[in-house]
Amino acid sequence: MQTPYWNPRIETLDRPGLDALQLRKLQDLVAYTLESAPWQGDRLRAAGITPESIQSLDDLRRIPFLTRDEWMQSQQANPPFGDVLAQPREAAMRYHTTSGTSGGRPLAVLDGPKDWEWITEMWCYALWGFGVRPADTVFFAFSYGAFVGFWGAHYASEKLGCLTLAGGNMSTEARVRQIVDTETTVVCSTPTYALRMAQEAAALGIDLASGPVKRLILSGEPAGSIPATKALIEEQWGARAADTAGMTEVGTIVMFECEHQPGGAHIIEDHYLEEVIDPVTGEPVGYGEEGERVVTSFGRGFIPVLRYRTRDLVRRVPAGTCACGRGFDIYDGGIRGRVDDMKVVRGTNVYPRAIEEIVRRWPEIDEFQVRLYTEQGIRDEIEVMIECVDQATTGVPADLLKDLGRELAEAHEGLRFGVRVAEPDSLPRFELKARRLVDDRDVWGSTTGEKKVM
Amino acid sequence: MASETAFPLSTGEQELLDCYQALAHTLREHGDDLPPFAQRNAIKALAALWQVANGTGQQPGQVYDLGA
Repeated sequence: MQTPYWNPRIETLDRPGLDALQLRKLQDLVAYTLESAPWQGDRLRAAGITPESIQSLDDLRRIPFLTRDEWMQSQQANPPFGDVLAQPREAAMRYHTTSGTSGGRPLAVLDGPKDWEWITEMWCYALWGFGVRPADTVFFAFSYGAFVGFWGAHYASEKLGCLTLAGGNMSTEARVRQIVDTETTVVCSTPTYALRMAQEAAALGIDLASGPVKRLILSGEPAGSIPATKALIEEQWGARAADTAGMTEVGTIVMFECEHQPGGAHIIEDHYLEEVIDPVTGEPVGYGEEGERVVTSFGRGFIPVLRYRTRDLVRRVPAGTCACGRGFDIYDGGIRGRVDDMKVVRGTNVYPRAIEEIVRRWPEIDEFQVRLYTEQGIRDEIEVMIECVDQATTGVPADLLKDLGRELAEAHEGLRFGVRVAEPDSLPRFELKARRLVDDRDVWGSTTGEKKVM
Repeated sequence: MASETAFPLSTGEQELLDCYQALAHTLREHGDDLPPFAQRNAIKALAALWQVANGTGQQPGQVYDLGA
């Protein structure tokens, strides 16, 4: 069957059809959780939830939120998995963890064969939906390890029948050379690492833009939907880039960008019930309003997840915003940041994503870092340190620092940004989940060097 | 397994669901008697066909008791 959809019938359901499917799946999930998952089941029983009490999707809101802290406390009290398992560990065949980039101990999860197949199935929606086909050669620039990352995508690529290249344990140069040598047509990586590979290719004298790579599947960072960053990646690779996003807590991706590239990602609504709430009040927000994602997953049975507070900031818009014909709503701009990403500098809200969106307008800038610090013990300052392409030999373009500083200020209510040039190759490079903001601010008045962010 | 939110199936889809149910039956009734190569490949196939059942709006439930 020739179709742009992985599951044509489901992906083109209208809203009433999707609602009916989600309601039935929610009732099944509640029944299964009560029967098989003691910890989550007790939470449901305490809230008076039964399958029969779920009569409409609005009844979802009677189910209590689950936070990462609660999950982590359970894991710490009963390591290594906590009390979240609905099946004995002997039934599992995959072990994975969160990335650990938040600085804390990672969450550990298990999957059985059916769960793992489901995890790859979610990636199939994304790969097929962005035009990847069996004749493609797919390269994964990914360090295969405990972090689930692109593991599911790798198996999805195999399921599609693509020639699948595992690019783990390789230098950036070796990866670039293998992509060229194998005439790879699809590359999967983080947005940051896609830029890093393009930089390496340029240093090697390889013109990626005229090569066979036609598609990039991005994941792991919000940058995949930042227009300036995405445009830069597409220009350097001469290929189209699609954003995807997910989380280890549900095992796989939750959203994907289709071939129409609507500037956001479709929610896989037959497998997830997604809410967007005000992160402070917990009340739902409407279409077009920014809020926190809350996910309920119909997939992985090993760890039932109901109303998990993701801390991801999103803005949901109707499916019709995209012309692809899917009935799946869209997160405009993908993951727009994290609830706890926002910094307040002299009364102005600052988001790392917004800074990146501006910095990436200058293709000469190779890497950057945002630093918050305290001046004279009483005044918070923000500066952006940059490294430029070929900086050691050609220096920094005239007016760049001044122009960048002006644009950053204009986008932030006049907040003054310092812009400095860092030593060549002194800023950290990232393969996974870049962390380009360093908050080194002191607590005002502290005599012990106490920091605002510990 | 049939669900009120299941969709009308094509002949090919119905045959795949029949395969899924036959596989589940075989594993339930004879799984422990099968040699390892047959049992583990059947479980792998069941995990894959579960996706077909689920994706056509059926209610395939969980299959951990069958090893998948």
